[in-house]
Amino acid sequence: MSVMSNPATVGSTAATERVRRSITGGKADVKGTIFMLLMLMALLMSVVILAVLVIDMVTQGRTVLTERLGDFVTGSMSSQPEASGILQGLRGTFWIGVFTVVIAFPLGIASAIYLEEYAHHKSRVARFIDVNIRNLAGVPSVVYGILGLTLFVKAMGGIVGPNSNGRSVIAAGLTLAILVLPIVIITSAEALRAVPRGIREAGFGVGATRWEVTRHHVLPYAAPGILTGTVLALARSLGEAAPLILVGATTGYLSGGTEFLDLGALTDRFTALPIIITTWAGRPGEGWVSVTAAAIIVLLVVVLVANAAAILLRNRFDKKRG
Amino acid sequence: MPAVAAVTACLALTSCGGGSTSSVVVSGSSTVEPISIAVAEFFTAGNEAEGNEKVSVSVDGPGTGDGFELFCDGLTDINDASSKIKPEQIEACESNGVEFIELPIGNDGIVMMTSESNTAVKCLSTGDIYALAGPESQGFETWAEADELATEVGGQGDLPDAPLDLIGPGEESGTYVSFVELAIEDIAEERGQELQTRPDYQASADDNIIVQGVQGSATSLGWVGFAFAREAEDVTMIEVDDGDGCVAPTETTIADGTYPLSRPLFIYVNKSVAAENDSLVRFVDHYLGEAVDSVADVGYVALSDTALAETRERWQSRTQGAA
Amino acid sequence: MLPVAQPRISLADLRGDRRRTRTEKLVRILLFAAALTSVAISAAIILSLLGQTWTFVSQVELSSLWSDGWFPRRGQYDIKTIVTGSILVSAVAMVVAVPLGLGAAVYLSEYASQRARKWLKPTLEILAGIPSVVLGFFALAFISPQVVQRIFSEATAFSMAAAGIGVGILVIPLMATISEDAMRSVPDALREASTGVGARKITTTVKVVIPAAVSGLVAAFIVAISRAIGETMVVFIAAGATGGSLFSTDVLGPGQTMTAAMASQAAGTDQVRGEALTFQSLFFVGMLLFLFTLVLNLAADRFVRRVRQAY
Repeated sequence: MSVMSNPATVGSTAATERVRRSITGGKADVKGTIFMLLMLMALLMSVVILAVLVIDMVTQGRTVLTERLGDFVTGSMSSQPEASGILQGLRGTFWIGVFTVVIAFPLGIASAIYLEEYAHHKSRVARFIDVNIRNLAGVPSVVYGILGLTLFVKAMGGIVGPNSNGRSVIAAGLTLAILVLPIVIITSAEALRAVPRGIREAGFGVGATRWEVTRHHVLPYAAPGILTGTVLALARSLGEAAPLILVGATTGYLSGGTEFLDLGALTDRFTALPIIITTWAGRPGEGWVSVTAAAIIVLLVVVLVANAAAILLRNRFDKKRG
Repeated sequence: MPAVAAVTACLALTSCGGGSTSSVVVSGSSTVEPISIAVAEFFTAGNEAEGNEKVSVSVDGPGTGDGFELFCDGLTDINDASSKIKPEQIEACESNGVEFIELPIGNDGIVMMTSESNTAVKCLSTGDIYALAGPESQGFETWAEADELATEVGGQGDLPDAPLDLIGPGEESGTYVSFVELAIEDIAEERGQELQTRPDYQASADDNIIVQGVQGSATSLGWVGFAFAREAEDVTMIEVDDGDGCVAPTETTIADGTYPLSRPLFIYVNKSVAAENDSLVRFVDHYLGEAVDSVADVGYVALSDTALAETRERWQSRTQGAA
Repeated sequence: MLPVAQPRISLADLRGDRRRTRTEKLVRILLFAAALTSVAISAAIILSLLGQTWTFVSQVELSSLWSDGWFPRRGQYDIKTIVTGSILVSAVAMVVAVPLGLGAAVYLSEYASQRARKWLKPTLEILAGIPSVVLGFFALAFISPQVVQRIFSEATAFSMAAAGIGVGILVIPLMATISEDAMRSVPDALREASTGVGARKITTTVKVVIPAAVSGLVAAFIVAISRAIGETMVVFIAAGATGGSLFSTDVLGPGQTMTAAMASQAAGTDQVRGEALTFQSLFFVGMLLFLFTLVLNLAADRFVRRVRQAY
């Protein structure tokens, strides 16, 4: 957001530069250059790490994806790496995404609207909720797993998973929806905060109620920002594994007795792509290494495409407003 | 609120959708897990080919003991076991009204192994193993440090003066329990020690990782199931002497029990579920029928023909309880 | 509906019709309820931890909390083993993340042109989006053999060092983003004043901007530590910790953290069951972890607020 702060900053930076040049007489600053290069190297190191990671995964997982992509994507988990597939994992990850979209998005956006548009910023309730959300965002994911285990698997097991002792994709989806809720709220609230006050005032001026102003003027304006945040949250929920271990995702084998979109099977046992990766990562031998890398490539494609979309969206939006 | 709505919707859908009763849930030993997975793969493929109603099969391998906890609570249909059901587990099953059918399905040997480059160790007595990995060996950092204890408990001793890198299955694993029972228990009981290994060894739930660890050090000592040791490269399987000379772990010595560290493998089937759930019946039929070769395929020692016939008979007559 | 079309507007027209005010009230209630769910979630987390933690604390033998190692299945719940493990892994992570994250922040905030920023910043954000299981596998399959074991030949295949580096990579973006925000919120007037008295850019950055942003940098550091302590999958996959682990301070060897202890206990037992208090110990560790990160997050929050108040 701060990129687009105000054009004056840019101008004054240029001025600073001119003053500096006239003071130093344009002489090269060796120490300063080395320092700058060090800082640049620190930044580029992240780019290098990212590149090494992606290249390493592609080198190790390439053959699986080029030689048997179809079987790999539509196959079940197996005791043999050559026969292993990720269909059940994709299915679980897909449904977790659906739960995130259906539960965390509306709930998170609604909370953000309340905090930004309705609550008095100085009211105790609003401040309490605000602090609470920021702390929730910092709770380790594995602790959310404990919540999922206690609340959904144990207490509500009969409802969410009558034929899987509660360890169903519903329990997993609810747990991860709760996990990303604070992220949705925080990013949506930021987007709402960036809406110029004039837009609201114009709405109130013509006699619209607060909800009408929010719905017809504030939300459309903030929509790209909210969308960016929600897509990032979705990517996060698709990549999480730790809470799923506690909720009890199946790690060994899960047959394709279920259709991808079969709603009735939502209460059955499940697994997810990050869980499959975890399980396979623990099985050494070239064969397992390559299928793990191949599964990682699939997960990265899903998650990074979502991330990249969100970033592009925001950049375009920044440019337009900037 | 949307959460509640979603759950209600799913509930409604389940009751209209139906079909979720045809599931088979397998848990238990991580040693038997590959067999059950292989059987499940055959079963699912065969089931699809015949155009039967789809069956959801799930297999996990948390360990024999943890598996029995689930099984005796009626939460799983089959428990894979790499050691026979224990009296307290039988009690747990009985108190919950869970009746079971015990079916031996193959044999496994626990193999002591070291890196191929370690030529100093060819054969260990059970006393040596106790001295190297038993409850009294905590803190031993070289093989030679175990010498004194080894001779005291009737082992050969004379172990090399080299660093001891111990790696084995974690305590949740069936292999851990069997190792304690086969290699540690007798001597430990005699000496009034706890029935467990030393705590300071590198533990892993995954047998393949143990093999890797053994390969990784020139003076390692590790133990895993025969299946994994046989597949492993760059490791030496150590012979074991239980007083009758050194015996190498082979299919024959494990099947006939002359190799000291060998054990039978089982599946335990919930009897009352088998009476209701046709899918479970077909799954077990498959386990003991067409898919029985899986035992050997994934690296264990298949039952002899007579033993297999006995197992099939136990299943056909639904013989309740442990043999 | 269209008051503009009427010649005169009375007060009654401005009041809005009953239907609209009713919608307004309903919406307000619904939105408030939505905002309250997060409070309910916090309460649920604390409640779900509290019950079993209490059972554990009230029944456990105190001596077993300070013993040779973390062996929940043997009734040995040595806290120092898992806390030390968490601290060591986080320390390694910070050794990686602080210089790289801070350097990246300094470059982005003080040196990068608008155009360079536009390309460099998304890279950091993409790095932030990489799932932790991926970094766990990367730490095990690449960092451990290609980096850690090359430098330290005595390192084992599973080590806290490799896991720590993996966690470090994971928190670089967090460290960089919060630090950069802090430095960018330092007013340009300070930079201009510094330049005006003849300071070079490096002097301005090191002696003026960084000290002015120090609260924010401290906050970044704390948030990064909190995240590193809470990270599970990288450690679970790459640190070689299973059901139990002896007390160890050797980062080149395998180790157990609070998070990995929870995950391996749950993974090893499916239903998360075991002897006596094994199941409850999971909640106890969860509570420890929750309190650790809560304290860190509250502290970070305070520092962030200090920056906001300052400028």
